[in-house]
Amino acid sequence: MDGLGLYFRLIRVAIQARLQYRADFLAGIIGVIVMNTVTVSLISIMVSRFRHINGWTMWEMVFLYCLWLLGHSLYSFFFWHIRALEEYLVEGTFDQFLLRPASPFIMFLAREVQYIGIADLTFAALGLSLAYRNLDLQWTGVQWLFFGLAVIAGTLIETTLVLMIACISFWTGRSRRASQLLMRLNVMVQYYPIDIFGYTFRLIVTGLIPVAFMNYYPTLMLLGKLDPQSPWSWLGYMSPVVALILVILASGIWHLALRRYSSAGG
Amino acid sequence: MEFVLVILRMYGIYWVWRVLYTQRPGAFGVSLDQMVTYGVMGMALEMFIWSRPQWYMANQIKSGAIDTDLMKPLDFHLYMLARSTGETLIGVGVLALPALLAAYLLLGVQYPPDAWTGLMFAVSLVLGFLLLFHLNFLLGSLAVVALDIRHISWAYFSLVRFLGGQIVPLWLFPTFLRVVADVLPFKGAYFIPISIYIGKLSGVAAFQALGFQTVWLVILVLLSRLLWGMAHRRLVVQGG
Repeated sequence: MDGLGLYFRLIRVAIQARLQYRADFLAGIIGVIVMNTVTVSLISIMVSRFRHINGWTMWEMVFLYCLWLLGHSLYSFFFWHIRALEEYLVEGTFDQFLLRPASPFIMFLAREVQYIGIADLTFAALGLSLAYRNLDLQWTGVQWLFFGLAVIAGTLIETTLVLMIACISFWTGRSRRASQLLMRLNVMVQYYPIDIFGYTFRLIVTGLIPVAFMNYYPTLMLLGKLDPQSPWSWLGYMSPVVALILVILASGIWHLALRRYSSAGG
Repeated sequence: MEFVLVILRMYGIYWVWRVLYTQRPGAFGVSLDQMVTYGVMGMALEMFIWSRPQWYMANQIKSGAIDTDLMKPLDFHLYMLARSTGETLIGVGVLALPALLAAYLLLGVQYPPDAWTGLMFAVSLVLGFLLLFHLNFLLGSLAVVALDIRHISWAYFSLVRFLGGQIVPLWLFPTFLRVVADVLPFKGAYFIPISIYIGKLSGVAAFQALGFQTVWLVILVLLSRLLWGMAHRRLVVQGG
């Protein structure tokens, strides 16, 4: 628990450091809001012109995207710099985390915050509440609880996947290409319900690189789109479990990687 | 790896249009094959956005290394154009063409209906590249004033994609957006070349579209010369 206290102290410092640059902050927020607005407009135009895509209406698509975005916003606020791990390694700045009398993982995680996450968070909350109203949803307490769990699971899934891929650079020195591939799969999942894609693709984003658990499967459950006939409907509840498995895996890989670490000097 | 990324993009858009057009065949006067071709071409032309003179300019201005560029006995604007052209040609040769070839074989993308259309497409494509280059160059000139253009670029790229019709063609837009997108230069980068390619724009309309691209190109070239001239005078090199 000492670790957690230290983490939040360092995060506060990181936020203060960031707030030094007001204009940059504003430009970032506006940039992200424009990006998200464009994304949602594209989806809306496409779907509303055809009324639905494979049974998904416009507001259901908005819900799908914003659920992803909400999990992603927490990731991008706290953990965005994980993907820069290779720079820390190549430049040798990673050494400073190892020299301090605290867990190198916490030192690394608390190194920076990316305030852009705030814009994502606001946009996602707005989109979800609009979708909630337009879809006439009336969730029970249990569903709200599951919603909360799904968002946290989404954050953890993205964070651990990025971390595991970033750890590749402990062995190879570089991991940028692999993380771009992850981003691309992620982008396809965030916009579109995966049931429009082919079988192989669905298998990959469910079993191999489980980004579909960030939004697709929990959305099925939360919007009552689970098909009770299907032998796979239980996947709708699995996000928290998947997140837990990934956390265990990632922590194993991180410790393995640390033992492998030899400094680049610098 | 880049290759896999382009293929994945194409695969994604392919399924989206396939599903939508299975629901409503022939919607908006376009066939499924045409629509898939449109989507896949849009993804292949992603390179256009890649050649980013503005990154180069922003980095050089930030680091102060821009002074060595300006000392060269070259016109800076043409120098940037040459750089971008080179980058884009390599991108097209190494990525876009192989990826398109794969798409022809796997996704059922069409060839242009006839040689004349192919020629018009080629001309329009070159104009489209030049248009986008000058828009990027203008953004790069902004770096002289703003120093950090990373965040502005995010918004800018989204708008190019959206109003340029890279993903969703303009004919699907609601009227008010259509009106806006129709007068802005962005549609010259993607929407016009690709619409000519799939035969949606042909005959007189295609010539008008080429005219539209040319007029905007002239305006943007003039603007670029003017703004870069002003920026150049304002430029303060920090250290160096």
